[in-house]
This record gives sequence, C-alpha cells and structure tokens, in this order.
Amino acid sequence: MKRRTLLGVGAGVAAAAIVRHGTARAQVQNYPDKPVKLILPYAPGGATDMIGRPWADKLSQAFGQQFVIENRGGAGGLIGTEAAAKSPPDGYTLFLAPSAALTVLPLLRKTPYDPVKSFAPIARAGDLVCGFVLNPAVGPKNFQETLAYAKANPGKLAYGSAGLATASQLRLEMLKYRTQTDILHVPYRGSADALNDLLPNNVQMMNEINVLPHVKAGKLILLNINYPTRHWDFPDVPTLTELGYPDSDVPIWYSFQAPAGTPPAIIEKLNLKMNEIAATDDMKVKARMINVVIPPQTPEQMTQHLLADIKATDVLIKAANVKLE
Amino acid sequence: MRVKGSQDLAAGLMFMAAGVAALWIGADYPLGSWQRPGTGVLPRILSWALIGIGGIIAAKGLMVRGVSLLHGAWAWRPVIMVTLAAIAFALLVDSTGLAVSMVVSMALCALGTPETRWREFAIFAVIMVAGSALLFVKGLGMPIRVFPWS
Amino acid sequence: MELSDLLSNLSLGFSVAAKPLNLVWCLMGALIGTAIGVLPGVGPVATMALLLPTTYYLPPEGALIMLAGIYYGAQYGGSTTAILINLPGESSSVVTVLDGYQMARQGRAGAALAIAAIGSFFAGCVATVAIAVAAPPLTQLAQQFGPADYCSLMVLGLVFAIVLARGSVMKALAMVFLGMLLGLVGTDVNTGNLRFTFGISDLFDGIGFVPLVMGLFGMAEIMANMTNEERRDLVTSRVTGLLPTWADIKASTAPILRGTALGGLLGILPGGGAVLASFSAYTLEKKLSRTPERFGRGAIEGVAAPEAANNAAAQTSFIPMLTLGIPSNAVMAMMIGGMMIHGIVPGPQVMQDRPGLFWGMIASMWFGNLMLIVLNLPMIGLWTRMLLVPYRLLSIAILFFCCIGVYSLNNSANEVLFIAIFGLLGYLFFKLDCEPAPLLLGFILGPLLEVYMRRAMLLSRGDAMVFLTRPLSAAFLGLAVVLLVIVVLPNIRKAREVAFVE
Repeated sequence: MKRRTLLGVGAGVAAAAIVRHGTARAQVQNYPDKPVKLILPYAPGGATDMIGRPWADKLSQAFGQQFVIENRGGAGGLIGTEAAAKSPPDGYTLFLAPSAALTVLPLLRKTPYDPVKSFAPIARAGDLVCGFVLNPAVGPKNFQETLAYAKANPGKLAYGSAGLATASQLRLEMLKYRTQTDILHVPYRGSADALNDLLPNNVQMMNEINVLPHVKAGKLILLNINYPTRHWDFPDVPTLTELGYPDSDVPIWYSFQAPAGTPPAIIEKLNLKMNEIAATDDMKVKARMINVVIPPQTPEQMTQHLLADIKATDVLIKAANVKLE
Repeated sequence: MRVKGSQDLAAGLMFMAAGVAALWIGADYPLGSWQRPGTGVLPRILSWALIGIGGIIAAKGLMVRGVSLLHGAWAWRPVIMVTLAAIAFALLVDSTGLAVSMVVSMALCALGTPETRWREFAIFAVIMVAGSALLFVKGLGMPIRVFPWS
Repeated sequence: MELSDLLSNLSLGFSVAAKPLNLVWCLMGALIGTAIGVLPGVGPVATMALLLPTTYYLPPEGALIMLAGIYYGAQYGGSTTAILINLPGESSSVVTVLDGYQMARQGRAGAALAIAAIGSFFAGCVATVAIAVAAPPLTQLAQQFGPADYCSLMVLGLVFAIVLARGSVMKALAMVFLGMLLGLVGTDVNTGNLRFTFGISDLFDGIGFVPLVMGLFGMAEIMANMTNEERRDLVTSRVTGLLPTWADIKASTAPILRGTALGGLLGILPGGGAVLASFSAYTLEKKLSRTPERFGRGAIEGVAAPEAANNAAAQTSFIPMLTLGIPSNAVMAMMIGGMMIHGIVPGPQVMQDRPGLFWGMIASMWFGNLMLIVLNLPMIGLWTRMLLVPYRLLSIAILFFCCIGVYSLNNSANEVLFIAIFGLLGYLFFKLDCEPAPLLLGFILGPLLEVYMRRAMLLSRGDAMVFLTRPLSAAFLGLAVVLLVIVVLPNIRKAREVAFVE
C-alpha cells in the first residue's frame, strides 16, 4: 500500500514535471504574452524611479507588452527585494535591483533573501556617475585642498548621506578609511533632505546625483568622480583613481534580476533585448541626462560583478567598522 | 473610595499602560551621548510623560465627578463585524482579486447592523464592484485583478 | 526682479497656460485631483505614481500642468470627506474635521463646503502670485532654517496641538505624547535601530499616516454610528442652506486672509511645513477669537482658516522644487519624476532654461484654481445629498474606500490589517472621550522633532545651547512657552476650583 502510494506520487511528480517542461518551452517562445511586472524596492520619485521609468518604456516598446512598474518601498529596500525574491519565477515579475539591496543590506541586517541564491541576474540597468561635492563657503577649491583642510580640522566637516547603510554612507566611510581623515557622518532620510542642508552649509559635503545641477549652477564644487571614467559634463574633474585612490569608488549600480528558477531561455531573451536597448543612442542620451551609463553585460558577467562587489563591500564594512548599532 | 468618573479613570489607566508597555519594550534601547542622543532617549521621555499624565487623569477620575464608562452603549456587534470586514479584505484581496474580497468584506460589514436589507445590499454590492473595477483597475491602472481567474 | 521682467514672464506663462490643450490638461488634473481627494485614502502620491507613465506621451508643459492640478485638486477634494463623514483625506485636512464635521452635523455641510472652497480659491490665487513675485527671496528665507530652528518649530507645533483640543487639556497632552510614540515606530534614521516593530517588516518604515487616519477616523466613526442612531441622525436628517450666509462670509474673511499668509509662509518649509500650516492657522483663529469656546463646535472660522492655509501651503511648497529642485514632500518628488521623464533636470537652471515651462506651470495654477471653484461650488449640492444615502449603505462604502485607499499606497494587504487595529483603538478613544486630532499632530511632528533635535546636536557637536543661541530657534521656543502658559494656567485654576468645591 505504502509502496504503491509512493509509486503513484512518483509518477505524478514526473508527469507534472513533463507537463511543466512542455508548457515552459511554449512559454519561452511566446514570452511575454501578458504584461510584465517590474518591482522597484523604493517609493516613487527617487533615483531608482528615474532609471526604471525610461527602461519600462523602452522594454514595453521592444516586446509589445506593457512593463508595469510596481513601487514596493520600505525598510531601505528590504520589503521590495523580499517581495521580488518570493515572486513566481515565470518571467512575469522582474526586479530592478539597486546594488545596496544586494550588497550592503544583507551584510548589515538579517535579510529574508540571499543576494546571490534568491535571484537570477538578467542585465545591467545602469551605473550612477557622480562624486564628492563641497560647499564653496568652506574654502577649499579641489579634492587635494579639501583633504588638507579635513586633516587640519578633524571632525569639522560634516557629510550628509541619504541614510544609514546606503551606498552614499559607504562612500564616506571609504574616503575616511583610505585618506585617514575625520569627517562627521550625518544621516538623512533621502538625498533631497541632505541637499536641503548642504546648500545653506549646515553640512558641507555630499555624494549624490541630485547635487550635480547645483554644481552646474556654480553653487557647489565637484571634487572628484567615483567612477572609472570622468563625467561627460565635467571633463576637468578627476576620478578617484586618477587622484591616487584606486579601488575606492564604492560603485552604485542597478541591475535587472529575476526570481531564482526563472527559465534561462527567458533570461537570455531579456538579456539580448536589454543590451540592444542600452546600445541605442536614444537610451544613451536618456541615461546620461540622469548621470547614468549602461555597460552591456551577460548574466555570467553580472554574477561575477555582484560577487566581487559583495566581497569588496564586506571588506570595507569590516575595515571601517560600519554597523547598524 | 467610590469612583466618580470611571471614563477618566479608564483613560488615565490606558495612557499609563501605554507608557509602561513602551518603557518595558524599549528598556534596552541605547541612550547614547550628548552629541549622539541614542535611540532610547525620546521613547523613554515619552513613556514617563504618559505614565505621569495618565496618573493625573486617573486620579481625577477617582476624585472628581465625571462621565461614567457605561455612558452610551458599547457597540459590540458593529465593532466586531467592521473589524472582521477589514481583515477579510486584507486576507483575500491578493489571492482572490477585487470582486470576491469586496463582496465578502461588504457582507461582513452589513452583518454589523440589524438594519441591513439584503436585496438592497445585493444591488448595492454589484454596483460597488463594477464601479470600483472601472475606477481603480481600468481608470487608475492599479495592479490588482478583478476576478480570481483574471 | 524688475517689474517689466515679471510682467513679460507672466505674459509668457499665461500664453503657455492658456493654450487650449494645456487648459484641457489642467482641467483633467483638477478633475482627477478632486475625485481622488474625495475618495478617502486614495491620495495624490499614489495617483500620480500610477499616472506617471501616461504623462510620458504628453508634452512636458501639459504633463506638469496636469500633475500639479492633481495635487491642488486633491486639496479641494480632501476637505469634502473631512466635512461630510469625519474622515480627513489628507494630513492637511485633519483640522478641517474638527469644526467642519460639527457644522455638517448641524445641517450646515453646504456652508462648510462652500467656505472651504472659497478659502482655498482665494489662498490659491494669492499663493500663485507669491510664487511668481517672490520665489527666490522665499527660497532664501527657507534656507535660513537650520536643524535647531526646525526642532524648535516642531515644539511650537506640538503646543498648537494642545491648544486645538476641545475638551480636557490633560487628555490632549497625553494624546500628543501617545501620537509621538506611535510616530517613533520603525527604523531610527540616525542609528538604524528598530523600535517597537515586533519583528514585523511592514513596520520597519513606521506606521503609515493613511492607515492610522483611516482606522482612527473612518473605521471608528462607522462603528460608533452603526448602533447610535441618535448620533448619525444629526448628520443625515437635516441638510439646510447650501450656501454660506453673508454673516458666514464676513466672519470668514479675516481668517482666510490670515490663513493664507501663514500657510504661504510655512508651505515653503520642507517636511512638516504644510501640515503645520493648517494646524497653526486654526490655533491662531482660536486664540484671536472673542468666543474661542465655539471652536470644535462648528465655528466657520475653524474651517475657513485652515482650508485657506493648506491650499496656500500646497501652492508655495512648489517653490523649493521649482527654484532648487528640492522636493519638500512626496508629491513634489513625483513632480520631479515627471520632469525627469521629459528630460528636464530639476534644479536652479530650470527657470532660465525652460521659462515657458516654469512660468506656464505657475500661470496654470491660477487657471486650475478658477476651474476648481467653478467645479466645486455646484457640486456641493450633490455632495450634501450623498448624506441622504441610508447609513447602512454609506458605512459599507466608507469601509471599502478606507480599505482600497490603504491598499493603493504600497499594494500591501498587510497595511489594510493595520486599519482594523487602529479602528478598534479609535473606538476605544471615542468611548473614553479622547480626541484623535492631537494624537495625529504628535504622530506627524514627533518623529520630525526627534530627527531635527538629534541632527542639531550632532552638528553642534553636542552643545545643547544651540537651541537658544540661534535667534529663530529661541524665538520659536519662547513663543511655545508663552502659549503653553496661556493654555495650561486657566485649566489648573479651574481644576483647583473644582477640587475645592468637591
């Protein structure tokens, strides 16, 4: 009796697997044949939205199906990331992952997802290109002078970040660690709040893309760029590597991820199309406008990139002793 | 001693209870330093303030003539049914969609009052479901399905 | 700015805003805004997020004009439910509930709605002019505020909360503290610690304002009304006089003027500015009134002033967004999203680079306000007739709109569960005669107070004197102390008298 039940169950499972396999193949050929949900783990209006909206538009055009953005904000990205990780792996729920949700959060907090195992990477969505800015009222005119000032006046400069455990905090921790300077970290609830205190010089430094228009207007000084290449709008501002601090960028990058178990053929299909879109002039212009570049990558390259970034972040967090108290 | 204003007494006790609970839950929140006031500073101030003011209100309830707690009936039936209606909507909306969750929660709400006329309710429910499907799903494009199979 | 510059800018703005298609977008925005403002819980942020992809296909001027219309349209609509069914649709209409709902219960819903619309219209027009004439200097003014000043301003705001209480001052004070405590639930911004979350991840970002209000006001009100026929018959049976009388308008003129000025100024401050505006306008009127005891019992000034203030603040909150690219609230963040979609980088250069867009949007606000008053005044008859719907059906509709409104915020069913809890809490408050309005103010301002206090201490490197040495901060604290003494002293005296009599 028992054995027969077991056999029956076994046959059932096998049959189900075959059926599922068959439908899976059909699914891939017709994919997508209904609207695709794109989860963003932050509230609408932020940098992630600015990257996600043009992507959703381009993908909808390319596939002839709506790519609908669903903002699932909360807990520094944790809630949206968890929701994405637990979505059905059928290709109809995708995740626009900010790097901090995969690299910083799992290292500082117990997360209900694993940054590597819970997701299948699809393609790179974009890298932010920005750097440290200084309020000109302080005095120094460039990176070196600011360093000298910080060394001469320990604890006097204050740096506004978008919050605890964000990439912008880690950028400061990296700078302090590599240059052995003492700069006060002041966490804000988002980069807009921080900018509001930077302009009247309540804090003196920031590292977020929303300050760049004010650099163009001459209200703030851009000291450097945290990216391998210079910013197209500020060709005179050197990168951190050029300034003598290699491997100190703390990259901020976005990627498309699918819940683990999504059929590889769907991922491949998406990857090809996404890299194709990223290479178009129109998308390049749209990306540059929001201070973003999109390096095309294969899913394998994405995995390597993610692993390397997690490792580097881990080293920094341990070395600089960053923690949520 | 006879309680003169049981409503005030109960209110005072409620505030004191909230203060004690917050103090107890937040007992291990760090106080920090002057430059970096910690997580626990404001919760602790507020807890003690609630206990203090709650005490004053409760004392007033004991000594000063006031309103009785039993003034006006307690509406147990609507309280329970309205609460259940909201819970039902929350539990059903993701799995069964708008139509089922709406009908169930609206029916629970209707059970909260003896005045419900079920024929009228049925017509009203159909109008509400159709109207909200048009307004929220079609009009505003909310990511929510109407029927379990859609 | 030269006068001739201003005139040429304004004429450019009006020429853009008066284009037929832009007028259509403006009307669309105003209509959508009014509709979602009337629906409890469904707010402008969720709506704008849902409609943002659609604006992609509009020209940038049209898109922003429509989005702006949604925002201030929602301010008009938000007061409707506050007055009719005691349910504030927006944080800024919490005070409108206090006297507006009382007026409705006295059969004067029409007058309350009309005065709210007129006050909003006047404030909207004045604030639009203020943006055109004084955006840069007002921006400068807002920049004078440091964290210590904000902190003291929040203290002042909390004292306002006690003043607006109708019953016991002690209970109001306790409710403020309880509200602050509820406001602290979630992740502590400064340390990343979790407070009072019980390990529930939906609480990591704190309790949402909308679920709290829907529970405390919407659900609790249904529960109370379902059995208590006497209570609700007050609302439904007598609806007389759709329009305000001359006496109403005369009584409201000065409050509308003062509310507009106060709201316009506070609106430029980020964060709690717009909420503070309506609360402080109410407090001001109650303090200036020769008959403060009427407040909370259907005083028309208590509707006129805060409604004018919140609409003025809604308009001037565009200033930091337009001049600096800094969003002062979630709605402005959505506006910035709308700009980015069209390739406009928000920041100080928008005014120079895109004058047509900048001035067109400002001019459209005037058109929008005009459309809203034309739309809303005739609607009043319709709204008040809504009260004639039998309560057994109205209550079901309110419950459903509370649920779907909360769900629409984050597409999260768990947040709908919260309104069940807050509904029970609200009913308990109702039975214990504790007013929820001071609790809400504490809930909004408490966390801001903490954030600014700790930021001020961090930036002053631990020197608490910063609150007294900064002139703005010292002035706010002084005002708070004076106000507190004025409010509390008579109560203590009264309490002692009562005690002696006993």
